[in-house]
Amino acid sequence: MAERPEDLNLPNAVITRIIKEALPDGVNISKEARSAISRAASVFVLYATSCANNFAMKGKRKTLNASDVLSAMEEMEFQRFVAPLKEALEAYRREQRGKKEASEQKKKDKDRKTDSEEQDKSREEDNDEEQS
Amino acid sequence: MAAAAAGSGTPREEEGSSGEAAAPQPQAPTSAPGARLSRLPLARVKALVKADPDVTLAGQEAIFILARAAELFVETIAKDAYCCAQQGKRKTLQRRDLDNAIEAVDEFAFLEGTLD
Repeated sequence: MAERPEDLNLPNAVITRIIKEALPDGVNISKEARSAISRAASVFVLYATSCANNFAMKGKRKTLNASDVLSAMEEMEFQRFVAPLKEALEAYRREQRGKKEASEQKKKDKDRKTDSEEQDKSREEDNDEEQS
Repeated sequence: MAAAAAGSGTPREEEGSSGEAAAPQPQAPTSAPGARLSRLPLARVKALVKADPDVTLAGQEAIFILARAAELFVETIAKDAYCCAQQGKRKTLQRRDLDNAIEAVDEFAFLEGTLD
């Protein structure tokens, strides 16, 4: 349990797939190179986290947010990541909104059913038939 | 500039921004964010973030962006390392290609000494 942070690796299969898609067809990667890249990715996350945390602390916040990470990217000289990351963030937010609305809708439906059950017990049998 | 990455074997630039204008490469569709938002499991990224003793809390969006940034990083370093392998006319990326890229590219300086 008491591993070094750098030992927390990201899944090999995913790393391999990302590498393969980034390179032209027919190019291979040795096991050592792949595991070194995986390790590098972990170090990257740790370093980015630390940078982002500095921004959060400057803003007197205790929670890391998206803009802290974006600021960290600039600080780390990975400005070219900022634009694609902003796009991804927008898409992520849209997806989260969609999920939230879907679950709110489900909740509304559930509340409606509960209300009608409380109002009229004699109608319960009919409701059951409708559901099936 | 695009010819440099087309396998012609003429090493022109060794800056970190090489490989971006490579037209013949089948690039991953990064302009289609709806297709796949993140391949790296957020739980693992979160574990890494929590490993930092100075971090109190991290929002979900922050974790997601870190995951996506890590993916971009993997793509970037793989491509840069590949440029080194091409100079050796090899088709397999070796560990030394990675070491060369880390030494050559300023942005990768933070990796020095961490991969052993």
